[in-house]
Amino acid sequence: MITIKHEGCIFCVGCSSVCPANAIEAAGTRMKTYPEKCIDCGLCVRVCPANVICMYKGVKDGKDLPKGAK
Amino acid sequence: MRRMKMASRFDHDVIVIGGGPSGSSFARAAAGNGLDVLVVDKRKEIGVPVRCGEGLGQTEIIKQGLDLPRSCYSSEIVGAKVIAPNGKSVIWKDTEASGWVLERKAFDKWLCELAVDKGAKISSYTRAVGIVRDAKGRPQGVRVSHGGGEPYEITAPLIISAEGMESLMAREMGFKTVHSLYDVDTCYEYEMKPYEHENLLEIYFGNSLAPRGYVWIFPKSDRKANVGIGIGGLVENGRKLGGVMGADPKSLLDEFVKGNEKLKEASTLLEFGGVISVGLPINEFVKDNCMVIGTAAKQVDPIHGGGIGLAMEAGLLAADSAVKAHAKKDFSKLALSEYERRWRAETGPTIENRMKLRKIIEKVSDDDLNHIFNTLTDKDLDQVMRSNFAPSALKVVAKRPQLLAVLRGLM
Repeated sequence: MITIKHEGCIFCVGCSSVCPANAIEAAGTRMKTYPEKCIDCGLCVRVCPANVICMYKGVKDGKDLPKGAK
Repeated sequence: MRRMKMASRFDHDVIVIGGGPSGSSFARAAAGNGLDVLVVDKRKEIGVPVRCGEGLGQTEIIKQGLDLPRSCYSSEIVGAKVIAPNGKSVIWKDTEASGWVLERKAFDKWLCELAVDKGAKISSYTRAVGIVRDAKGRPQGVRVSHGGGEPYEITAPLIISAEGMESLMAREMGFKTVHSLYDVDTCYEYEMKPYEHENLLEIYFGNSLAPRGYVWIFPKSDRKANVGIGIGGLVENGRKLGGVMGADPKSLLDEFVKGNEKLKEASTLLEFGGVISVGLPINEFVKDNCMVIGTAAKQVDPIHGGGIGLAMEAGLLAADSAVKAHAKKDFSKLALSEYERRWRAETGPTIENRMKLRKIIEKVSDDDLNHIFNTLTDKDLDQVMRSNFAPSALKVVAKRPQLLAVLRGLM
């Protein structure tokens, strides 16, 4: 799954435009992620101009994120 | 007219998702021909936030028979200046190279207002969250949420996706609008002041400056300028984030600004970033009861990602087909396909040529770029911009035969 540091997000929707799994979408004024749909491809991390997306391979639930991840 | 409408089982004749240049141009033309058009836009205010370099050639506006009001642009452009890695520049001045640096916020709103003047209805802060279908699976409406509230259905026999980069509803209607990394550039831009300019768009090439992309300086009024960078989506420049390397265009832009005599003391008034499409159009624009127009259909220039003019043009073409389909009460793919046929015939070849040029530009090294710029004159650049590549390519290869392999495609 991926995490997004929302305070640094510039809301450009670039991540959702490259997401092949429809796992990110713009909702209201912030990006919303669907960890269950995420296929850990990392494309969103690669294009994010603001460097605010981080990927955790194999993690499907926010509860399982490593310590320090946000 | 009114009785006819009441007899219809639909709320509107057409629903357009997205109020950018393509959506509002479609709405203006369709409503002007008597269709009942509703445009939904997810943004609270049309045109905001701006995520664009804001350059627009004047030919597009003239072609559309419009008269751009003063409030919609910041400055007038008389041409472009392209700068090689070694600092050598070539200038292109021509009516085709002249245009404006827009105030997108005012421009988008103006286009929407023109549509409203023609009778279209626009609903801001209204996000499309799903597609309504009939028993055969054909789109018959859109589920929308206003201001994040409970979603509700609006129906129409024709749905237009003018959603831009995200294009989630187009995907839901079965169009393949997902971008590959090769087909996107990741960008960052500052609005800066003061910058003394000559009303020329400035484009800086260089593989260390902007790998597989370029830096642009678009002059605005009152000594302001949009200073931005776009680099290929495949470029790895950032730091690792959970094992994946990002592109980080911002750090490259900061380096450029620091190294530029005229900019290093300037202030930034605004900063933003974005991902732009620089690929080829999607493989189909039309299905039963729906069409995709503008950036959502990847109708963009593959070199600079510019799409305002193309979007407006596609909007008009699609509206023409929509009006004809409406008259026949037939919204099948076949009935709507004239838009796609005409677009591919009128604009398709130009885009393909530009893609060819892009593939070549990204293969040449800084040294080769310097050589090309040392060889070419302003006149040669003029020909290149008109997709007449052969004479310039021959000139370059004559002095540096090893470039033949790279440039062969242009000859």
